Amino acid sequence: MSLHAFAARHRRSLLLAPALIFLAVFFVMPLFDNSLRSFTAEEGGFTLARYAAFLTDRFYLGVIVETVVLSAAVAAISVVIAYPVAYVLVRKSGRFSGAIIFMLIAPLLTSIIMRTFGWQVLFARRGLVNQWLVQDLGLLDAPLRWLNTPGLAIAALVHVLVPFAVLSIASVLQGVDRRLEEGALMLGASRWRAFREVTLPLTMDGIGTGAILVFMIANGSFVTLVLLGGGFQTLPLLIYQQFNTTRDFALASTMSTILLVIAVGCLWLQLRLVRRQGV
Amino acid sequence: MRLSDLLLWLFTAAFFVFMLLPILVVVVISFTSAGYAAFPIPGWSLKWFARIFEYQPFIDSLWVSLELAVVSTVGSCVLGIPAALYLARSRSGWATAVTTFLLSPLSMPMIVIGFASLFFLSALGLGVSFLALAIVHTVICLPYVIRTVTAVYRGISPAYEEAAMILGASRFTTFREVTLPLIRPGIAAGCLFSFLTSFDNLPVSYFFGSAQTNTLPVVMLAYMEHQFDPSIAALSTLQLALAVVALVVADRLYGIEKMTVAT
Repeated sequence: MSLHAFAARHRRSLLLAPALIFLAVFFVMPLFDNSLRSFTAEEGGFTLARYAAFLTDRFYLGVIVETVVLSAAVAAISVVIAYPVAYVLVRKSGRFSGAIIFMLIAPLLTSIIMRTFGWQVLFARRGLVNQWLVQDLGLLDAPLRWLNTPGLAIAALVHVLVPFAVLSIASVLQGVDRRLEEGALMLGASRWRAFREVTLPLTMDGIGTGAILVFMIANGSFVTLVLLGGGFQTLPLLIYQQFNTTRDFALASTMSTILLVIAVGCLWLQLRLVRRQGV
Repeated sequence: MRLSDLLLWLFTAAFFVFMLLPILVVVVISFTSAGYAAFPIPGWSLKWFARIFEYQPFIDSLWVSLELAVVSTVGSCVLGIPAALYLARSRSGWATAVTTFLLSPLSMPMIVIGFASLFFLSALGLGVSFLALAIVHTVICLPYVIRTVTAVYRGISPAYEEAAMILGASRFTTFREVTLPLIRPGIAAGCLFSFLTSFDNLPVSYFFGSAQTNTLPVVMLAYMEHQFDPSIAALSTLQLALAVVALVVADRLYGIEKMTVAT
């Protein structure tokens, strides 16, 4: 086949070339180069020593576990909070749906710095929340220390990520035929039972994709944890610290690669779910 | 109204208080007359907005961020629109795999992309420069353009383009007169997401900090580590206003529902 004939046959697929080449060079190569650094011994040559050290060290193993557990907790809380909101948006909101979508998207337009600043002000020692609890409601005798507690950091992470869960669940719920639920009601099921046995199972995929999406983003986030504290030791936080202070770049590369492997695993899971939906 | 509906609405209301309160508090504080960041505020003033313009690093980095957002959005369109045109019209398994690959930067941890790119681009001799930052921002913005344009183009019947071609229009005329106007909502939504993503990005920009390449979020983070005054609130409010204006304009032009479908 001459070059000319080849070009003619594949002319349309040339449209893909710029994006593919760009990402191959500036997205895949850096990540590959980064992983390579974690496998290269200081005196040159291949080594698995860093991974061996990482996976046998009690501290570093704890870091991996803490990263995964924190992200899973944030994902679980987000999905539980998001479901009723998505249900109201799709089934109950009627003419308010535009307003609800706007209120969901508006926080996505604000920077993480802005939200963190808001949390810091609200939960300061003399902040609004303590003032309510102590003076206005009289529930507490003395103000509580909220900042730098794990609970507040988790709440802030949920705040950043829960809209993604709402949108994931809403998009699946939108595709569920209302008549299925109505049929269950007509056949004598209670509203709760119709929801539990008809609607909920049909939206499991939305819950799954939402949870994975939140988990994936939570896994890589560190700005919230840097600013709000909470005493967590997660992979992204440690990479940040390595880069800033310790400057052991090979160790940071090792941690990045582990984080990357978790992300690729999530992506794979997500694709399997999406494919099942037939989208 | 049934009790269950009432509970659902109450829950939703509480949810939006949780979502909006921290943001509204910051907006209010940006107008405070006090010298410290606390809520409620003792009085109103615009002095913290004035303070933004007195602090040179804010202004410099604001320009860097704006230029960067424009450059990476244009770059994402140039690279992404052709790819989206191809992907939307092809149903092969290969095309699905390519789409997954082109969208995958969205799923990778930003901190890893930033850290890895810094070393790679330095090895290429680009190091910490505006160009290097623009390249990495294009990597993370490109998926948004591809996703929205693919979604919109897929919903458009090929019949329009075929009709134009049958009536004698050339490939290029068909693209300019038929395809482009039809996919414009997708391009607009993609540009909007791309611009906002770049403008707001911290985890990637953080690694490329220097006097010439510090973006606004990087400078804000550094400022916050030393001071806790309302100028950060004023800046955040300006940033939010910009984003809301962009969203409202996009909504007027194309409809907010259509754009959320496109995501």
